[in-house]
Amino acid sequence: MATVLVHIALLAYAAAAGIYLAWLVRPRTWLVPAGRTLLLAGLLLHLASFGAAVSLSHGEGLARAGFGSDAWKGGQLFSLLAAATVAGYLVLDFRHGIPVAGAFVAPVTVAVMVPAHLVHSGERAIAPALTHSGALALHVGSAAAGTAALALAFALSLLYLASEKQLKSKHPGRLFARLPSLELIDRVGWHLSVWGFIFLSIAIATGSFVSRESSGSAFPLAPKEGFAILAWALLAALIQARLVAGWRGRRVALLVVAGFLLLMGTYAGLLAAPPHASTAALIVGWLGRG
Amino acid sequence: MSVPVLVCVGLSHKQVPIGVREQIAVSSEQLADRLARLKAIAGVREAMLLSTCNRLEVFAIADARTVADDVLRDLGPLAAQHAVTRFEDEALLHLFRVTASLDSMVVGEAQIQGQVKEAYARAQEAGVCGPAFARALSAALSAAKRVRTETAIARGAVSVSSIAVRMAQKVLGDLSGRAVLLVGAGDMAQLAARELHACGVSSLLVANRSSAAAEALAKDVSGIAVSLLELPALLERADVVLCSTASQQPIVTRDLVSRVIRARRYRPLFLIDLALPRNIDPAVNQLENAYVYDLDDLERVAAQNRGLREQEVQRAEAIVLEEITAYARAKQERAAVPVLARLRAHAQALADAEVERTLAVLAPLSERQQKSVRAMAAAIVNKLLHGPTSRLRGEQGGPLADAAAELFGIPRDADTEAPVERSEASDAEGGERPAERVAAPADVLPLTRRQ
Repeated sequence: MATVLVHIALLAYAAAAGIYLAWLVRPRTWLVPAGRTLLLAGLLLHLASFGAAVSLSHGEGLARAGFGSDAWKGGQLFSLLAAATVAGYLVLDFRHGIPVAGAFVAPVTVAVMVPAHLVHSGERAIAPALTHSGALALHVGSAAAGTAALALAFALSLLYLASEKQLKSKHPGRLFARLPSLELIDRVGWHLSVWGFIFLSIAIATGSFVSRESSGSAFPLAPKEGFAILAWALLAALIQARLVAGWRGRRVALLVVAGFLLLMGTYAGLLAAPPHASTAALIVGWLGRG
Repeated sequence: MSVPVLVCVGLSHKQVPIGVREQIAVSSEQLADRLARLKAIAGVREAMLLSTCNRLEVFAIADARTVADDVLRDLGPLAAQHAVTRFEDEALLHLFRVTASLDSMVVGEAQIQGQVKEAYARAQEAGVCGPAFARALSAALSAAKRVRTETAIARGAVSVSSIAVRMAQKVLGDLSGRAVLLVGAGDMAQLAARELHACGVSSLLVANRSSAAAEALAKDVSGIAVSLLELPALLERADVVLCSTASQQPIVTRDLVSRVIRARRYRPLFLIDLALPRNIDPAVNQLENAYVYDLDDLERVAAQNRGLREQEVQRAEAIVLEEITAYARAKQERAAVPVLARLRAHAQALADAEVERTLAVLAPLSERQQKSVRAMAAAIVNKLLHGPTSRLRGEQGGPLADAAAELFGIPRDADTEAPVERSEASDAEGGERPAERVAAPADVLPLTRRQ
């Protein structure tokens, strides 16, 4: 059931991606509402698939406060990240109307979801001490929220750099009319970066606790933790520079891009060599074993 | 007498970038002197110099095509390198297209018509313009009016000022609550300032070298007059800066803006340079969070706009061609009518002379008999000229008029006889459309210095 729902959600995301890309080529007015509706429909189906997975776990999922699973699949984590990013985008679009970001988010969502759900990934064991950990739930939840916020900030930063380049070069491209103002991109990107930083801080703090529970070391020397700390430090520097020196615009956008890429290093590290396999436990708890 | 030739010598934004145009621009103060120089060129009968931010062009009615070389030399070596020379039909088409705003940086903008009228008024003041030019310009302005009223070319963001405002919005977003600094009192900057004001900007600061001018302009655009000496502080405060002074040197330099940007804590600053020569150092655009748009940059954006309205532009071009055809027809009619009048006068004079000679050799005739002889001579003249008259009127001049003038040895020069032709044409055609288009220069062009 959960698998069917998530596959339908994936189809809705793919259709939304197609519509947003069509809008980039030919900006018909009906395309944006259509793309938005499909994304929303996809998100609802996607959330329903999580719900179905929980219900299929016979009360052994969220109801048990811990997550009761002893293994996880890497793809499940990316599925959750995709859902969080789409939800974040829809909130942004509702508040600020940035359809051009949808043309980035929808295809990326599909690109993340396809390997997450269609490609087989083997299960990895979760340390027994963590299978019922509330800290793990907070760690994974804040990591997903922070990553989604920073993914959107990353998308907006790329938009900023593209738009700024066109404005500076005085050669407006075909998409120029559809790009929002630099001020809006900068402001929204800044808010997302701050939220991303806050969630990332929570994720690192709780991750440290989880790590100590599972491996005995709060900050094990592993690529995942190293990249996370680097990304966090970069975002901290960005926020300090913005608040103290007033940095904004291009240099902030470049820092956000760098911060997000470092954060992706964390996920690469997680998938490559999970020392305690903690991060995905929550998803496994939600989605069950399937 | 030689046949006059319409000549157009000049260049525009299509031939040269702003860097060249700012070096050859003719300021309002220099215009009288330049017109006097044009007048002094041998073979120039009438001339008008159109100098705007985007073009420097001389339209002249000359004795021969070779006069264009002298006009070209008069523009100076830099302009001469890039200038385009057009003659007759091509020059006329260019005059019509320029006036109808089809050759403008922003196609469809209305400002060019005021600039053409201004140029004509200045040429009249200088005594360089005559009736022939007045007719051509009148027809060009009629065409421009039709283009504006019969096509949608003027709709949308078509003025340079509105495009400048749009670009400011692209950088700054909603302009309500923003501060705008207007440096100088150029027409385009004033237009842009008004558009920004309409967008809800919170304060409009007006700086000028002359405080009286600043106050007058501030009053005009609902702004606040400030001193130009405070420019660094004003740049820290403003979000949009509009420069349009007659300064020959940049007044907003890279160093100045570099300091200002830091003081602004990197808040973006959008600078619009509508002056020629430019008031803002182009290197300012290299600075982070500073965006400089000059006239050429706005042209690039305008080019997109033009592409969107291509269909309307085609309709406008068709109207211009129609109007040129009507103008050419009216000109031919004017050319034909004096030939007829002179032919008739010539024949009547011959007949009268023969009648007098005949009456002198005949026995004394009564008053009634003399009247009959004169009537017979007039009837012969009328019957002889009836065919040629009908043909000439039907053909509206052209080769037949030339042939008639040649056969009967009648001098023919439409333009030198223009004031006479005009009334004759009107009489002959009973006020039909082409004739209506031709009026006395004073009627045709109630050209004021500023519309």
